[in-house]
Amino acid sequence: MLKMSHLSKVYRTEVVETYALRDFNIDVKEGEFVAVTGPSGSGKTTFLTIAGLLETFSGGEYHLDGIEVSNLNDNARSRIRNEKIGFIFQAFNLIPDLNVYDNIEVPLRYRGMKAAERKQRIMDALERVGLSSRARHYPAELSGGQQQRVAIARALAGSPRLLLADEPTGNLDTQMARGVLELLEEIHRDGATIVMVTHDPELAARAQRNVHIIDGQVVDLAEEPRFHAHAAAPQSLA
Amino acid sequence: MQIRPILAALRRHKAGTVLIALQIALTLAIVCNALFIIHERLANMSEASGVDEANVFVIKNQWAGDRSTQQIDAQVRSDVLALRQLPGVRDAAPASGYPLKGGGWDNFVTMTPDQVKPTTDSSVYGSDEHLLDALGLRLIAGRNFRPDEVVVMGTQQVVIPPVVIVSKALADRLFPDGSALGKSFYAMSATPTTIIGIVDELHRPGVNQWNRPYAGQSLIWPLRPDDARGIYYIVRAKPGRLAAAMREAPKALYAQDRMRIIDPKDGLLSFARVRSRVYDRDRGMAILMGIVSMVLLAITAAGIVGLTSFWVGQRRKQIGVRRALGATRGDILNYFLTENLLIGLGGVFVGTVLAIGINLWMVARFEMARLSLAYVVAGVVALLLLGQGAVLAPALRASRVSPVEATRSA
Repeated sequence: MLKMSHLSKVYRTEVVETYALRDFNIDVKEGEFVAVTGPSGSGKTTFLTIAGLLETFSGGEYHLDGIEVSNLNDNARSRIRNEKIGFIFQAFNLIPDLNVYDNIEVPLRYRGMKAAERKQRIMDALERVGLSSRARHYPAELSGGQQQRVAIARALAGSPRLLLADEPTGNLDTQMARGVLELLEEIHRDGATIVMVTHDPELAARAQRNVHIIDGQVVDLAEEPRFHAHAAAPQSLA
Repeated sequence: MQIRPILAALRRHKAGTVLIALQIALTLAIVCNALFIIHERLANMSEASGVDEANVFVIKNQWAGDRSTQQIDAQVRSDVLALRQLPGVRDAAPASGYPLKGGGWDNFVTMTPDQVKPTTDSSVYGSDEHLLDALGLRLIAGRNFRPDEVVVMGTQQVVIPPVVIVSKALADRLFPDGSALGKSFYAMSATPTTIIGIVDELHRPGVNQWNRPYAGQSLIWPLRPDDARGIYYIVRAKPGRLAAAMREAPKALYAQDRMRIIDPKDGLLSFARVRSRVYDRDRGMAILMGIVSMVLLAITAAGIVGLTSFWVGQRRKQIGVRRALGATRGDILNYFLTENLLIGLGGVFVGTVLAIGINLWMVARFEMARLSLAYVVAGVVALLLLGQGAVLAPALRASRVSPVEATRSA
């Protein structure tokens, strides 16, 4: 589903080159729930933005659902984002001027979907996240947990091949976080491929597989004693 | 199209939306009327006078000292003879006034002597049989005056000659069936005057609003206005000899008699100068309206650029989110263009009502003409295009916002 080989991302200024990712390799199979962990500045978010085609990369190869994406133009990348990827952001990223219904409708409109189909998908997605009664509410009228559920509904409505979640519970209290996580697990059980970036070991432990990034590279957890010292739990979970 | 969600979002930004829409509305209302006024004034300025303007000039001759009507008449005859003998002059005539002078004689006209409500109004020129040629008027029916028909009109005298030459506009107004020649009418007198000739065009001296309903309605009476205060000499130069004739004419008059005043400032005017002078106010008004329109359009465009730039800055993260969710650069560009178009449509709708309202008020208050809807349509199109043009730069800037913006902290 998602395969990066020897991928690199370099940020260049006039005086310095900084490698955010270097010889980065990852292979996520269809139907997997992968947690990507690592300390701050390790390259987790850079990985996620490249995986989600939000940013280009400097070298290597990236195949998404069988498509080599490095040579795609901006419009083609937009289309893939729209059709194949669902995003769940830490800050929810709902559009404050639009109500719940219109927020979920945004990616469907960019797909050029007919109104009746859009409506069906929106109502299905809202039902799935348990917010059918909130369709006409604005984001500011919802709790953080509800907003994240709307964001998940927005991601699900387009039936994406891949769900990318960036610290999906980072802005939520424990109870709300648990609810959101259970929802993600349920979505995964239904067959979705999920890649979740998190620095929370407990959250990572709920994923099927953990990938740890340090200094822009995937490291083998067994050879990384610092990680064991902080969070050993993820290794034991499947 | 995503009109419904754009409208929904605009409802959450009422203040900015309403202000820009109102600005567009006011601009449309004012610019439509301003352009209409400009067009009217320009149309006034290019009205035909009937005069051979390239070759005609006018001398305003004021008499110095006391003279009897007979003395004045003798001097006038001698003056026009002297003028006609100048090598560069084709013809010359004494006159009570001339077209586009800015004001002059006029009479109400009736079809019967006891008619209370006048049929119309006509400007009045008094001159001799040389006026048609001196002005370059085109006689389209009947004949010119004979010398024996020309009578003298002294100071404060009222003389109604029995024959008259009228402009086609007056002839058609009085006798719409085209049978004016040989017919009579009354011009504020109990004695009739009979139409012996019709000239194609002869503009009135006045150009102000009062003259509008009577445009082109003029008559010429065969009378020499030997007024003690002064007289106008209409002189037509031979082609290409206007400047020389204008230099020689005052000298020839002073050679006849020095007891006269030809004001160096406005005593000698080419017809081009006559036209330019009489339309000074129209020209000034047209320029002023043009400047006001340009300033208003510039302010409106700047307002749109400013507000959209502000919104783009404010919505950077939102634009990034839309891009992340699959919007192309074109989608973002379209979003802002559509948003501006919707605000613009609201503005021009209100503006159209305002434009027509302002015009109706001006029609009632200043006797202005009714605004043509073509101006409103042109104004609407211009304002919408201006809006789209103004929003283009900030919208393009918005379309270049990277989707990665979605992952950045607000």
